[in-house]
Amino acid sequence: MIKIGLITDKYHLENKSAQFLKYCKNRAEVSIYLEEDYLLDFSNYNFDENIFFVKAKGDLILNLVKLIENETNLPVINSSKSISLAFNRFLNSVYLREADIQVPDFTLNPVGISPPYDEYIVKNIIDQKNYAFKPQIQKREGFLKVTDFRAIEESSGINPKYTHVYYQEFVKSKWEYKVYLIGDVAYYFKQIPVLVDPDKMKSRVEIEKDLELTEIAHKAAKTIGLKVCSMDFLKSKNGFFYLTDINSSPNFNYLKNGPKLVGDYLIRQAKT
Amino acid sequence: MKIGILSKRTGNFTGKMKSFFKSSGHQVNLYAAKDLCINDSLLDNDFYILKSKHLVYLIAGYFLEANKVPVIPNTDVSYTHKDRIETYFALKRIGLLVPSIYMGFINTLKTNLKKSYFPLISKPVFGSGSRGVKVYNSIKDFNPQDGEPLYLEKYIEGIHYLAYFIEDNYYICEKQPLTNEHGEMKLIESDKEIEEYLKKWKQNYNLLFGHLDLVRENNTNKLYVVDAGTFPEFSNWKNEIDPVSSICDLILKKISRIKKIE
Repeated sequence: MIKIGLITDKYHLENKSAQFLKYCKNRAEVSIYLEEDYLLDFSNYNFDENIFFVKAKGDLILNLVKLIENETNLPVINSSKSISLAFNRFLNSVYLREADIQVPDFTLNPVGISPPYDEYIVKNIIDQKNYAFKPQIQKREGFLKVTDFRAIEESSGINPKYTHVYYQEFVKSKWEYKVYLIGDVAYYFKQIPVLVDPDKMKSRVEIEKDLELTEIAHKAAKTIGLKVCSMDFLKSKNGFFYLTDINSSPNFNYLKNGPKLVGDYLIRQAKT
Repeated sequence: MKIGILSKRTGNFTGKMKSFFKSSGHQVNLYAAKDLCINDSLLDNDFYILKSKHLVYLIAGYFLEANKVPVIPNTDVSYTHKDRIETYFALKRIGLLVPSIYMGFINTLKTNLKKSYFPLISKPVFGSGSRGVKVYNSIKDFNPQDGEPLYLEKYIEGIHYLAYFIEDNYYICEKQPLTNEHGEMKLIESDKEIEEYLKKWKQNYNLLFGHLDLVRENNTNKLYVVDAGTFPEFSNWKNEIDPVSSICDLILKKISRIKKIE
């Protein structure tokens, strides 16, 4: 039987992984590496797993993945580099744009220096912790300014971690498009943008395969190096898709048979 | 040429480089974090010097390279030096001896660390300097902290060295344990093993200059690398070779090679 190493944290194990573990029960052996309980000893890398699946993005998790990548040839989904790039909003925008993928215009500015856009969203630079987007929406002189609470907290709170915030030019769109990618297979949805209705699942509907979205999604995943991921897109009034967010640790429970799709994919990718 | 310098300081080594380049007819723009907007406005310079390795400067470096603007030292090299786990693998990969390292949350460390692992030293994973550095002699020394995992290294008891290199010139000093680059140090006439380490490090990663911190263990006489840096201040470099002009010349030569290839 294939052995899957699930590298995760308590939050993801308790809230997101039950269905996946249930599906794997009779198909694969699963060993769990829990960030909060694991002593990462860099001289110990005798793993007997056939594949690792990373479902979280904390520092200890990333460094465990680096150990596996450096000292073994076991497959890890997703790689440490791709996870780090996915949670670094600025850098993934840089590489996506370099790969000719349309992203909203962006800048990384010191706190207090406004961006050169009329309408924008302020986000934190590093989207690493488990957190839901909490927007503060303002209209100033008729223009929309959206600030994620965490961006303020991390740059201007009591213990600021960063001197800079990430500004993304606002793209007005009737729908937000969500693409999940599991290996080579994509799944497509649309929903009312979360800035309009924060309850994203209320309006989410599955949509037909879109050739343009498919091409962009595959190119983006390849650029960042992700094998399992989700992406958010907005469609501007001139009909262009803008990639606004890429996530290395998607909640695949939202997909019909998501845990099965991921479990089967991992079993196929395992080193035997 | 128009030269950008990404640096948290405007004086010290950065200031001297600025003066050197200006006196050689170049235009120099300094970018400290407080006025560093990372966007297309940076693409105006011909190349950049990545003097500081804080996150925001590294991000700027990656942005510039993605936009085909050369950065020296290159950003990946600087990132590898900044992240202790990356440095550990980079050193190990080329056969240099490194202390054992561990990572975990306090409760896990308390439960799982064996007596034989001590003494240990904590350091920031992503950082330099002495912030977060503490020696632990037993499990009792751990205090509750803010919920981030702790990076620990086996603390090597022995003689500590700071070893600079600029091209093929080496300058090796003996220093007090856990002191930074700026403390008082004693010049070592020669240490062939340290020079071999420097040569290997420099050649494998194509470095023009930099430094290694090393410790020769008292009990075994083994030589361990405990830290690496891409761009020291060269505060203790007292060789007849001037570090500022040598480094600026090396950078200009490298840029000229890059531009020729382009």
